[in-house]
Amino acid sequence: MEQAKKLLQEVGIEPERVEMFNLGASDAPLFVAAVNEMTERARTLGPNPLRREKVA
Amino acid sequence: MIVGERKPFEELKQGLNGYKKVLILGCGTCVSVCMAGGEKEVELLASQLRMANKLDNRDVEIKEATIQRQCDREYIEPILEMAGECDVVLSMACGAGVQMVADLAEPIPVIPALDTRFIGITDAEGSWSEKCRACGNCIIGEYAGICPITRCPKSILNGPCGGSQNGKCEIDSNNDCAWALIIERLSKMGKLKDLEAIHSPKDYSKIVSPKKITI
Repeated sequence: MEQAKKLLQEVGIEPERVEMFNLGASDAPLFVAAVNEMTERARTLGPNPLRREKVA
Repeated sequence: MIVGERKPFEELKQGLNGYKKVLILGCGTCVSVCMAGGEKEVELLASQLRMANKLDNRDVEIKEATIQRQCDREYIEPILEMAGECDVVLSMACGAGVQMVADLAEPIPVIPALDTRFIGITDAEGSWSEKCRACGNCIIGEYAGICPITRCPKSILNGPCGGSQNGKCEIDSNNDCAWALIIERLSKMGKLKDLEAIHSPKDYSKIVSPKKITI
């Protein structure tokens, strides 16, 4: 994951757009928390710059 | 194996500036093992370049190929047609491979994507260290299988020097003193007395570059 973040950063894309969460199949509350966190991050960062045309 | 390290992304991006069709060419041998220039690394670099070009609104076509070895004509020839359709080849091989591709793909420019660092071994996952200087006149047999030319920063043939401290090197205390290792192994071999021999300076007149072998 660190390597993936590094590669994105080199390109000019915010590394926090990608994350890995270790969850068990029964960890529903943790799954919800992870989804909420990534949703919040995506909202804060805005649309993926590589998909800007589609968003526009 | 030959150990290489990928150049910084920004340097590679700058080097490709102005080219519209790029072939990223991987090498499936040494640099593949050291995770610098094999098929996987070609894919990663291609993805990075595609993303960077899109962010910069640059229309560049990136092609990918990985061959078994870039230091052998027979493996390069099959991809020459593909190279000929491109403006530039970004070679992810060692310096030898880059030059072989450049010779065969002429006049297509060939740019190195790696810095060729050394001949070495795998210490652990993701960690490599230099073991051979390819000096062309091997003396390892006289030093219990440990090369003082490569592994001692001073390349001392009659060591250790005064900077050997607790088995570590004064140049970098993270490194073992090659001479401490030599003495330890000679002791285990029961050949410590071999150290009493004075080794004369290496005959560098036999080490002329570029080296060549013909059989």
